[in-house]
Amino acid sequence: MQSKPKVRFRGSEAANGLLMISPTAIYAILLLAAPLGMILVYSFMTDGYLQIIPKFQLCNYFGECHSYKDVNGVLTESQTYKGVWSDPLALTLMWRSLMISMVVTAVTVLLAFPVAYYVSFYVAPSKKSLWLFLITIPFWTSYLIRVFLWKVILGTGGPINFGLLEIGLIQEPITWLLYNVNSVVITLAHAYAPFAILPIFVSLEKIDRSFLEAGRDLGESPFMTFWRVTLPLAMPGVISSVLIVFIPTIGDYVTPSLVGGPEGKMVANLVELNYKKLDNYPLGSALAVSSMALVMAVSLLFLFLNRRFLRGNKR
Amino acid sequence: MTSETSTAADQTMIEFKDVHKYYGDYHALRGITATIKAGEFFSLLGPSGCGKTTLLRTIAGFEGISSGVVMIDGKDMANVPANVRPTNMVFQSYAIFPHLTVEQNVGFGLRKDPRSAAEKAKAVAEALEMVGLKGYGARAAHALSGGQRQRVALARALILKPKVLLLDEPLSALDKKMREQMQMELIKLQRQVGITFILVTHDQEEALVMSDRIAVMFEGEIVQLADPETLYRRPNSRKVADFIGTMNFLPADILSEVEGKVEVEAKGFGRLTLDAEQVSVAPGSSGASIGFRPETLTILFDGQTATDRESKAEVVEVVYYGDMTYYDIKLEGTTEPMRLSMRNVFGRPVLDIGTQTRVAWSPGALVLFR
Repeated sequence: MQSKPKVRFRGSEAANGLLMISPTAIYAILLLAAPLGMILVYSFMTDGYLQIIPKFQLCNYFGECHSYKDVNGVLTESQTYKGVWSDPLALTLMWRSLMISMVVTAVTVLLAFPVAYYVSFYVAPSKKSLWLFLITIPFWTSYLIRVFLWKVILGTGGPINFGLLEIGLIQEPITWLLYNVNSVVITLAHAYAPFAILPIFVSLEKIDRSFLEAGRDLGESPFMTFWRVTLPLAMPGVISSVLIVFIPTIGDYVTPSLVGGPEGKMVANLVELNYKKLDNYPLGSALAVSSMALVMAVSLLFLFLNRRFLRGNKR
Repeated sequence: MTSETSTAADQTMIEFKDVHKYYGDYHALRGITATIKAGEFFSLLGPSGCGKTTLLRTIAGFEGISSGVVMIDGKDMANVPANVRPTNMVFQSYAIFPHLTVEQNVGFGLRKDPRSAAEKAKAVAEALEMVGLKGYGARAAHALSGGQRQRVALARALILKPKVLLLDEPLSALDKKMREQMQMELIKLQRQVGITFILVTHDQEEALVMSDRIAVMFEGEIVQLADPETLYRRPNSRKVADFIGTMNFLPADILSEVEGKVEVEAKGFGRLTLDAEQVSVAPGSSGASIGFRPETLTILFDGQTATDRESKAEVVEVVYYGDMTYYDIKLEGTTEPMRLSMRNVFGRPVLDIGTQTRVAWSPGALVLFR
């Protein structure tokens, strides 16, 4: 290749490669890796009122921690709090977040599949892009407005209660729709529906239709062909949908704070509380890191499943 | 290829009665009427868009028909869905399920089979052995080559012991060597299992090599249905003649017609009389012409004499193929070059362009189109 005994770094292929990816790399480091790293570092620091004391400790995760206050230049213990995995409140909220996002994911993906199936199999090819375009219409308005609309729809004076009262099915407005877990699930499921539809649609589109004919040809009914051929082949898309819905909903903060009421609060609301009102950055960071670990654990499980489906049942 | 295998059961397996198929305004099948015998290797041959695949899919049940009747083994197939028809298909893309292993693919249709799991596994292994894939059962479907996929598709269809096996251009994705090998294997396999095979192909050579009978289709119609030899030697129209092999056309004038015998005159050939069976009556061609295959003319070398008739000719092009040499010649008094093929034998020279020579021919090998 080269007659020089020493390969210089400058001008080499590796250097060119690094140069080419550097804008992306800088972007990724500055905007993704650095903030995450900071949160991780914060979570091991000690809380001082209006400041963070760079003293390493694990008690933000496990056991009991002390907050410090600057009193005339001397740091003095002010109060104690429990670390994330020792605090019943944090555990309850994390558990609830996990449950809510699992229910949301299940509802969203189950409702998205028939829509994606219909568009892929029954809509004329020339009309498919129109349909996909229509599916994205809810995105034209801000998410906040959509949440407020759900507030109106589900409220005691909203159309659902009004209609049920009018036809005499109920005597007084039902209150279990709004300001609890139900409204959070409904609002999130609606918001993430398009995200769930698209990956499933893509995986259904990729299925060679001769596979379905082969299923019928080999003696299976339309339903069994769906069960034995279509569904397994669409699984990568289903799993992508699950991840796309599950990951953002577990950390959602706007929806529970607007329609969740007291019993619909999720872990992100506790993070916010610690960062803002309580001014406890280390505990807030430890909460954030803990819920991220939760997401990662569930996601890895699904990614593992996905790889299995992508590979086929190779032995 | 015919006799022995098909005499066992000369009954009708498939019957088309005036089958029409419309896609909107497009008339894809225009009154197909034909019968396919049990145990026959039958081919649907035609250029792309002629309706041959559509016709095959009406047998499988993937395509409904607009009018007419499709019968399989004496039963009307109207309202019989694909999954209960006694047919199985080898798809053009093979349609090997990518999420299953080879043996899961082959055993796919056995779910409702009452046999025990062990017996089914044995049947799968036997089917794989039959198509030459012994020991491939545990492989992932996507790790197979094109030829192997095709064998899996065959095993998957044949394990269900269908009355009819449908093959939709199964060899078109294979390279030439592999294709020729598979042609032979398919013929052997068909003789071995005795199932009616229906092959769709656009490759006339493939159809000639493999079939007991061939239906040539153009624009939604069967234009000729015959055994390979008849199709090659006595095509019933210029179109069929053009589509199957090479056919030379020499303009001719019809002088008289007495009791079916036709007397014609053509430049280069002179006057000759043809039997009724040599005359193609299919309409559509402009003016009469004599058709002949490249191998029906033989170049006469020094000292050789014709056993029947001979004409003078000039060599205008030479194409050397190793075992064969193709010559383009102009018969004396004509302007259009005609293709002629000679087998190369030791000691016989390959002629140069411009050589004046003589060719031998026989009126019996000619066809008259009008």
